[in-house]
Amino acid sequence: MVSFDMLGKWCWLVPAFPLAGALINAALRRKLGANVAGGLATLMTALSFVVSALLFFGHDPAVTPVKVVKLFDWIRVAGMDIGFAFQLDALSLTMMMIVTGIGTLIHLYSVGYMHDDKRVASFFAMLNLFTFAMLLLVMGSNYVITFIGWEGVGLCSYLLIGFWYTNPEYNYAARKAFVMNRIGDVGVVLALCLLFSLFGTLDYTSIMDQASGFGAGNPLIVGATLLLFVGAMGKSAQIPLFTWLPDAMAGPTPVSALIHAATMVTAGIFLVVRSSVLFELAPFTQDVVLYVGVGTALLAASIGLFQNDIKKVLAYSTVSQLGYMFAALGLGAYSAGMFHVTTHAFFKALLFLGAGSVIHALGGEQDIRKMGGLKGVTKITHWTFLAGTLAISGIFPFSGFFSKDSILANAFAHSPVVYALLLLGALMTAFYMFRLLFLTFWGSYRGTAHPHESPLVITLPLMVLAVLSVLGGLLNLPHLFGGHEAMKHYLATAAEGIHNESLHLSASTEWILMGLSTGLVVLTIVYAYGLFVKKTTLDGAPAQMPALKRLIAEKWRIDELYAFLFEKPYGWLSTQFARVGEDRIFVPLMNGVGNLTLRAGKVARRLQTGNASFYLFAMVAGIIVFLLITLYGG
Amino acid sequence: MELLILLLLPFLTATLLMVVRPTAAAKHIALGSTLLSLGLVLWLWYNWTGTAVVAVNADWFPQWGMRLVLGYDGVGLLMLLLTTAVFPFIIAAGYKQNLQHPSMVNALLLYTQTFLLGVFMAQNAFLFYICYELSLVPLFFLLLYWGGERRRAITVRFFIYTLLGGLALLFAIAYCVVQEPTHNADFSALANLALSPDTQVWLFWALFLAFAIKLPMFPFHSWQPDTYTMAPLQGTMVLGGVMLKMGLYGTLKFVFPIVPEGVVYWRDTVIVLSLVGALYAGVIAFRQRDLKRLVAYSSLGHVGVLTAGLFAWNSYGVSGSLYQAFAHAVLVIGLFYIVGAVKDRTGTSELGAMGGLKLKTPRLAALFLLVVLNAVALPLTQSFVGEWLMFNGLWQRDGWFALLAVITIVLGAIYMLYAYQRVMLGPDKWQLEMADADRSDHLYLVPLIAVSLVLGIHPAPILDLVNAPVQQMIDLFTVTH
Repeated sequence: MVSFDMLGKWCWLVPAFPLAGALINAALRRKLGANVAGGLATLMTALSFVVSALLFFGHDPAVTPVKVVKLFDWIRVAGMDIGFAFQLDALSLTMMMIVTGIGTLIHLYSVGYMHDDKRVASFFAMLNLFTFAMLLLVMGSNYVITFIGWEGVGLCSYLLIGFWYTNPEYNYAARKAFVMNRIGDVGVVLALCLLFSLFGTLDYTSIMDQASGFGAGNPLIVGATLLLFVGAMGKSAQIPLFTWLPDAMAGPTPVSALIHAATMVTAGIFLVVRSSVLFELAPFTQDVVLYVGVGTALLAASIGLFQNDIKKVLAYSTVSQLGYMFAALGLGAYSAGMFHVTTHAFFKALLFLGAGSVIHALGGEQDIRKMGGLKGVTKITHWTFLAGTLAISGIFPFSGFFSKDSILANAFAHSPVVYALLLLGALMTAFYMFRLLFLTFWGSYRGTAHPHESPLVITLPLMVLAVLSVLGGLLNLPHLFGGHEAMKHYLATAAEGIHNESLHLSASTEWILMGLSTGLVVLTIVYAYGLFVKKTTLDGAPAQMPALKRLIAEKWRIDELYAFLFEKPYGWLSTQFARVGEDRIFVPLMNGVGNLTLRAGKVARRLQTGNASFYLFAMVAGIIVFLLITLYGG
Repeated sequence: MELLILLLLPFLTATLLMVVRPTAAAKHIALGSTLLSLGLVLWLWYNWTGTAVVAVNADWFPQWGMRLVLGYDGVGLLMLLLTTAVFPFIIAAGYKQNLQHPSMVNALLLYTQTFLLGVFMAQNAFLFYICYELSLVPLFFLLLYWGGERRRAITVRFFIYTLLGGLALLFAIAYCVVQEPTHNADFSALANLALSPDTQVWLFWALFLAFAIKLPMFPFHSWQPDTYTMAPLQGTMVLGGVMLKMGLYGTLKFVFPIVPEGVVYWRDTVIVLSLVGALYAGVIAFRQRDLKRLVAYSSLGHVGVLTAGLFAWNSYGVSGSLYQAFAHAVLVIGLFYIVGAVKDRTGTSELGAMGGLKLKTPRLAALFLLVVLNAVALPLTQSFVGEWLMFNGLWQRDGWFALLAVITIVLGAIYMLYAYQRVMLGPDKWQLEMADADRSDHLYLVPLIAVSLVLGIHPAPILDLVNAPVQQMIDLFTVTH
């Protein structure tokens, strides 16, 4: 076995493989066939996974908790020295495993899913480029390298949402995603400027070392963490910057699974955990994170209740689950947040890919009202989708049960109100997920297509992800079930905040909480069964709904609100600046100055013959005379 | 000697073109000349030791302080590099333009290059001024005879407006030379003037006005959008690619050393005006109906941040601003070339008429997108390095300045992606056959994109050039204040 130190030097291979794949596919996009392009991209991600796995399993945090591998100097000006360097520790290695592991499965799936698309090589180039950027994001050893990845994944997200570029709605969704993320990035850039002025460096290790010099509640640290969180809100789709994510479903389904569910959208959580030392010093920010997380979890879950597009339900579910993760971070339960990042990556990728398989089977249909009864035809898709649904609903012993329970227990220790709210969210989750499952796979078929099961290249990733969704809980099995919270102890070697985590609940309290949530979730599922299997209740147009339900089904009309508050006024402002500012004020002002000068120059006008050659001749003659004087006259 | 050759090469080539008028070969000759100039500057760069060079030092009209002093430090070398690197592209852009009288066009461009180079190597205030004003003359003819709609009115307006700023500059120089004990107008002498603070406060504007108009800085910008839009493509490239950097360079050479107290007094005002201008232009760009005009406003927005970064007057702000000056030149040339390429194919630059071009010209769309990435300052492009440094510089001056500056990255994303979508994406609006980007388009744009990526990943060559002189200037500033 190669030692970790030796192998660590080669960690740049992890992002290099997908980058190479992206470049090759982009350069040869017109020449490569679908299978070659897809095969190459999958292979590159798989190689990246292999190196990540070697690093991950070779890593002994007791020996080398953190290893920084510097590649070259990047930006060096005065006191600023930003190296292009990677950091290998429990946090980055965990994220690398998720990104490359799930990434490989989704690449493989895409080989089948995108097979007939005309621009399949471009697609794989972008998907590989995304993987590269995401790896930079998690591997960076300073905030600026992370920011390269941060913006890079934003670009890939933009490109892939608008992949089918002849549809103006998709293009709009793509731009919306990029711009909303950029609004968040304003926060990140400012946070970085602030942190640099405070610490004189942006290296994670140095900042974490120096941070203890600042007292808890230091206003500058509070400011920096709030600004970082603004970025996290954009990237991870939290209130008020969440409306781009549901629209992002315009992209091909594998993109939704990889970027808009499993990896990119968890970058905000990663950033907070990376900065956990700072967040620990800023109790005010932690409260903000908690409330935004809880608020988003509930708001998005409520919208998910009445959506009829299979991908939109999952999208709102993602927003809601991200809210849970932030709630965990706000509670200081970083390991619980990261645990949920991991299990969510498993089951949400699974659910999206399952949805893709369904859409594939139905020739593009996404409306669940026109589905039903598919479990007889698409057996693998159904069984795996069921596993994912049970996991996200938090049914024992599926992975989501453990990660969600961990968040709920921390919430209860903090405040019963927060616990109650998050439990309510969990019940809504179970409801909309089983509604989705029942309407799609159970009952009888309501559409007109000829459903068929997808090929193995699509169902294989589903099966692998289903296994992970079922067993993922073992990664961080709590003491109550005979485990020893392996993931928490591992991550604690990288994130200071996890060290400080403590949860003081007696075993009996924990059992009661678990029993309560499980019982209520089961009741919800039974209720959903009654509504959607026994009766098949289908929603009509929103206009026929009662007022409140209609408001929720129309997504609380937040898009309309933003259009009214921001988009339209911005367009108006742009027009007015041009019409009034430019045409009425600044241009006339300049003309006034010009006319004045012209009038004064009327006397001199006799010299002007209007003959260009004369002007030119005069100019050149003048210059030659000028030069002669210079050279000989001095 | 090299500097004299550098000056004479474009000048003599231009004169040759005017006399011989080799219509067909004109562009090749001009391109050869600009490439030679570039080679020469690259050679200077290769031999650069880090110490300022004075290559020519001769008296001229010493009684008036006029002396022929040519030289450069790291900042000057960057500007020479920028100018000579950009001009081959400006000449090459003419290959597809087919303007009438190519000999004249190329001659005028080369004359412009001569005086621009003169500006960047002059070490005497009068010499600087002469080159500064003379560089306008050939451009004036280029705009007047080869411009688009309303070219007469716009050109005259532009000319008068900038000349007015120049007059103020001339007055300020004369004033300084009179104050100087030996009436020496060399920069080295003027830097030791130590005028009274009260004088510096008003003299600041006399010196800075010309540069504020040239950049242009809000609210002196209103000549820019019309002129950029009306000018022939190559003229626009000269204006946006190189000419406005004279404003930046002039500020650095004149304003900071001569009136440091004036800078202290006015710097926050200038920063606020520049940033307000950057936001203003960024907002306006969004709803522009003409692609070329949109790019003009985007340039205005970028320049606002550039000026603000300079006036932050710390290592990050100034180095970032200079770095961005180069990045901006590369960017603007690329953007305007694409405007031209789109217009060649569709016959228009009206955004309302466009859409779906990517279906017909996927390669051009990809190139456009890569240039756009630099425009929105995505990390690992050149623009990111510059903007990142400027944001830090502004932050160290005042957090609110940084906030205003950073907001421009949102505005940039809004208008650039919108423009890209309007032109390239969506359903096909053109029922005609169109050629995709050909070999020459790639030959033109790929090097620009490559430069923006290479210097985005490895900015050291440029940063090392400016770091030392910038640090020196700032140290001097802090010692006296």
